[in-house]
Amino acid sequence: MSNESKYWKSLRELHDKDAVGELKAHEFMDGVTDDFKMSELSGMSRKQFLALLTASAAFAAAGCSNYRDRGEIVPYTRKPEEVTPGVPNFYASTCTGCEQSCGILVKTREGRPIKLDGNPDHPINQGKICATGQGSVLNLYDPNRLRGPEYGSSSGKSGTLTWKQADADITRLLDECAKTTKEIALVLHSVHSPTAAKVLSDVSAKYPTTRLYVYDLFNDANRRRAWQLSYGSTEIPSISWEKAKIVLALESDFLGTEGMTIEQVRRFTNGRDIMKSKDFNRLYCIEGAMSLTGANADYRLRLNPSQQLGLLLALINEIGLVRKKGSLKGTIPVQASGASLLQFANQHSLPVEVLNHLADDLSANVGRSIVLAGDVLPVEVHVAVNYLNEMLGNSALYEEKKSVSYSDHSTPSQLESLVARMKSGQVGVVVHVGTNPVFQLPKEFGYEEALKRVAVSISLVESTDETSRFCAYVLPANHALESWGDFNVRTGVYSFQQPVIAPLYDTRQKEAVLLSWIQGKDSFHETLYHEYLMTHWEKTIFPTLNRSVDFKSFWYASLHDGVVAASDHSTEPSRFKSDSLSTAIPVATDGYVIGLTRNFYISDGTFANNGWLQELPHPISKVVWDNYASISTRTAKELGVDNNDRVEISLPHGKQTVPVFIQPGQADGYVSIEMGYGRTNAGPIGSDVGVDVGGLLSKASIAGARVVPGAKIVKASGQYELVTTQEHHSLDDTFVKELHLKREIIREGTLRQYEKDPTFLHHEKKELFNIAHDVEYNGVKWAMSIDLNKCTGCNACVAGCNVENNIPVVGKEQVQRGREMQWIRLDRYYAGTPDNPSLSHQPMLCQHCDNAPCENVCPVVATNHSPDGLNQMVYNRCVGTKYCSNNCPYKVRRFNFFNWRDNLAEGYYEQEPISLMHNPEVTVRSRGVMEKCTFCVQRIADARQHATEQGRPLKGSDVKTACQEACPATAIVFGDMNDPKSDISLYRAHDLGYHVLEDTNARPNVTYLAKLRNIHSENLT
Amino acid sequence: MKKSLLDYTLRVRLPLVVFVAAVSFIATYYLSRAERDGVGYAPVQPVAFSHKLHAGTMRIDCKYCHTAVTTSPSASVPAVSICMNCHSVARKNKPEIIKLTKYYEEGIALPWKRVHKVPDYAYFNHSSHVNRGIDCANCHGQIEAMDVVNQVSEFTMGACLKCHRSAPETLSNVPGIKKGPEYCSACHR
Repeated sequence: MSNESKYWKSLRELHDKDAVGELKAHEFMDGVTDDFKMSELSGMSRKQFLALLTASAAFAAAGCSNYRDRGEIVPYTRKPEEVTPGVPNFYASTCTGCEQSCGILVKTREGRPIKLDGNPDHPINQGKICATGQGSVLNLYDPNRLRGPEYGSSSGKSGTLTWKQADADITRLLDECAKTTKEIALVLHSVHSPTAAKVLSDVSAKYPTTRLYVYDLFNDANRRRAWQLSYGSTEIPSISWEKAKIVLALESDFLGTEGMTIEQVRRFTNGRDIMKSKDFNRLYCIEGAMSLTGANADYRLRLNPSQQLGLLLALINEIGLVRKKGSLKGTIPVQASGASLLQFANQHSLPVEVLNHLADDLSANVGRSIVLAGDVLPVEVHVAVNYLNEMLGNSALYEEKKSVSYSDHSTPSQLESLVARMKSGQVGVVVHVGTNPVFQLPKEFGYEEALKRVAVSISLVESTDETSRFCAYVLPANHALESWGDFNVRTGVYSFQQPVIAPLYDTRQKEAVLLSWIQGKDSFHETLYHEYLMTHWEKTIFPTLNRSVDFKSFWYASLHDGVVAASDHSTEPSRFKSDSLSTAIPVATDGYVIGLTRNFYISDGTFANNGWLQELPHPISKVVWDNYASISTRTAKELGVDNNDRVEISLPHGKQTVPVFIQPGQADGYVSIEMGYGRTNAGPIGSDVGVDVGGLLSKASIAGARVVPGAKIVKASGQYELVTTQEHHSLDDTFVKELHLKREIIREGTLRQYEKDPTFLHHEKKELFNIAHDVEYNGVKWAMSIDLNKCTGCNACVAGCNVENNIPVVGKEQVQRGREMQWIRLDRYYAGTPDNPSLSHQPMLCQHCDNAPCENVCPVVATNHSPDGLNQMVYNRCVGTKYCSNNCPYKVRRFNFFNWRDNLAEGYYEQEPISLMHNPEVTVRSRGVMEKCTFCVQRIADARQHATEQGRPLKGSDVKTACQEACPATAIVFGDMNDPKSDISLYRAHDLGYHVLEDTNARPNVTYLAKLRNIHSENLT
Repeated sequence: MKKSLLDYTLRVRLPLVVFVAAVSFIATYYLSRAERDGVGYAPVQPVAFSHKLHAGTMRIDCKYCHTAVTTSPSASVPAVSICMNCHSVARKNKPEIIKLTKYYEEGIALPWKRVHKVPDYAYFNHSSHVNRGIDCANCHGQIEAMDVVNQVSEFTMGACLKCHRSAPETLSNVPGIKKGPEYCSACHR
């Protein structure tokens, strides 16, 4: 099954084997190990240096009056009851990184939040959060945060002011607006909090000229509008993923960036758990850009998104009229009856056999399948998807719980009128409540120009941004971990947010600022919003819950749990309107189709200054610190461009020059670009990273389709270097080819093959040669297993590990040299052709080999083995020879070429208060030492301490590693392999279990479960 | 052959000088070992608290003040509020207690001088040791006899390992005690 030419990591590797072979033969990237250039070194001679060294040492010695001094221990004066030094506390709260509003548990040490994980009691995300959520703790300690209110440029003043002064000024201005009936514009993102919505309505009540403008750079406006058309409501039900045997995703990245991803990943991958059942679900994905969903699909077809409507109509025709399956709703539109699936397949050179399988599967699974359309697709496509789901009886999968929203997106014309009124002086005050419209709104609106004409503009943000640059008042807002709140994104689920640390600086919560303005002079006090929130719950929401306890008990219990389940105020089941299917016929368009998509980690630019998130490799392309235009090989040929060239993309409303990345599996003629990059005023880390493609977004697109046809693209001058980690840390396969052995890094099969022959992986028995002594492990022996059927490649584990283990950020330039420091990486392999590749993801971390090759070569025994099976790395013993890294077959060791915190952006990550964020249980490594995954040995030590306290032996289930805790798909299992009853023993003994590079006989303690593709054939093609 | 000055220097003077240098180096190295390891270090504390009086004469249990010692890696130096449990009433008018009360009432941090320290890259866990029945005195000495706390044992890796290797013999009073772990990540991570 596995021959070494089958898997490839990049197009360069596929076409130009020699160049990458060269890379694999070298441990370090070019230039890393070059000699110093003498001419560039300091002119000081060796003798001068020694003389100075001696002199300074003598001075230092003379200066030290008390060399025995060990500093101070400063206890609390009054110790808070719940704090024990050295023991973490956990508080339930809510993540505000995106609209999913996941429940989180905040781990605090001595009052400092140091790690976020999902709240296991939360019904939606059930103990998991995404990579962005994991990394967002860095934003609390970002040195770039505003420390107090400031005058902005348009105030004509400079410097800081007090809150008292700011409040007095602003309330006076608001009163003036009320008198002169000028508009007060509040620019917001969607509101998911019932109490925040109440604050906004209070503001409107006090100042009747207030208008709210709501926008989100990334939104599901199309889906909602289509739901409105099909069902007469915008409340979209959640889906019973467990019941979906067939999933068809049309340009929909439901495993990566769209919808309630954490819940979707969990519930979808639950249907692919080999330990539970062999009855896997099957995922079809038809898309133009290679998404994470496409990467995990059993069948993936590429199709230009502008053709999705045609495909849907052909499918409706094939299933409903030709095969007469499902139940047609109303009269089928004319154009559907004319569209044949075969014709469509031929027209767009799609494999007929796969489309037939799709039609068969959908017909055979009436009421047990689901079709999804992506957020970027236009309303008509979503309506057609609703129709197809109704026709197939898939509405049986719609759950009673529905999405909840406390605000409607402003329409493009409302935003347009805002801009016009700002320009004409009809807007007296504009308040940006945590929003950055200058960067996020389509440039076509001309918001920046309009903002400059508004007399009073206020920006209420955590750190300065593109919008606050043009505002008169820049008011600092609390971070989410310093704030109160309540969130409700699904009927019957309320999630609480509570502060876990007092505001670090002179900042205030956004809602409290608005309240203090309407309540009048000096009304602000620290508990203003806290009291407001409690009162709102006591008066309005609590009575509807019909609880038998008093409010106080309810309140404290709910804060403790972080979540409140309310009975569903179930709305009537919505009736499908059969006449909603559009009669518009998809027209062929000239030019290229541009897709403006959601990025994976930095959200709408909010997390741009977060180095951890910028340095997470893109799950598909593995590009870091950049966005780019993804194009297919054929499109690249047409345009005459290669990777790192730049192209100029022109649309009627704007143009932009973007670097090019040739993405295997991209549809021809379709160019997709991720938005949210290219911020210009984000701070030392986030400014000028990537390209801002807001100029390509049309006015209509802010709440509409993000697939824009009719673009002209020409090659632009110049080069732009994109940095990708996909050829770093390559596992060497050319060497072994010469030994006529086969390396089995990725092992895969099909479900049918497994059903027929469960042990198909282990037919060849190999004689392995051992030079090491066998060591007997009594007691606990740690091991990990990773189920590749469940791993989607989302990077949450990498982000979780970064935070837990104090992993530094190295910057784009250093990543280019292969010096990224992440202890766990997601290897991504392509197989097949560049046009239709199939992807495999594999988390790769230290394998803690029993016969670890790294241990034999360390000259100072800084890496060696523990009796519980860990490959230990002792920093204070390491002298930095890098021999271990050279000898590691898995390429998982990372070297500190610099003191990274000092090295990046002029020591940005050495500024205060960053040090408060570090996990005190893990050494902060300095320059010159090797490091790598420790299996979270600090958590093992913690578990051992608790076991000792309870007077019992340590159990494998006592320990959860950070990656395991983070994995939304629960693909990672960790425990004691010497305990025959443990989960890990079952996984290690499973027929699908294998070790990477088994033939080196390193005896890794990480077992991978081979991926099974649920396709119709028995063999992988 | 006539003995030259060079001969004398090489045969007698040089070995003598080398010998004296080596002996004095070795002697200094070993004699100053305890000093360098901090044994006997007894800094002056901001409040003249006497362990001899509290733990010795009055026999107050260590855990009354060092509350976290059985639940946390860190034994915890007591918060000023713990002192005030008694001293809000007891000996209120003594000068040291007046000092202490001032810290408490004005909320000023009380900067005790650190006596015992293991390096930052070693993670010692009080809870794991104390819960196995190992007495505080094994490392900290007879604290209850000290007016001013001083360091008794060496806090070096050698000292840790010595005890870990010989625990069944040296700690024979502790029932069921086994050898302590000797592998790196038991302390370093």
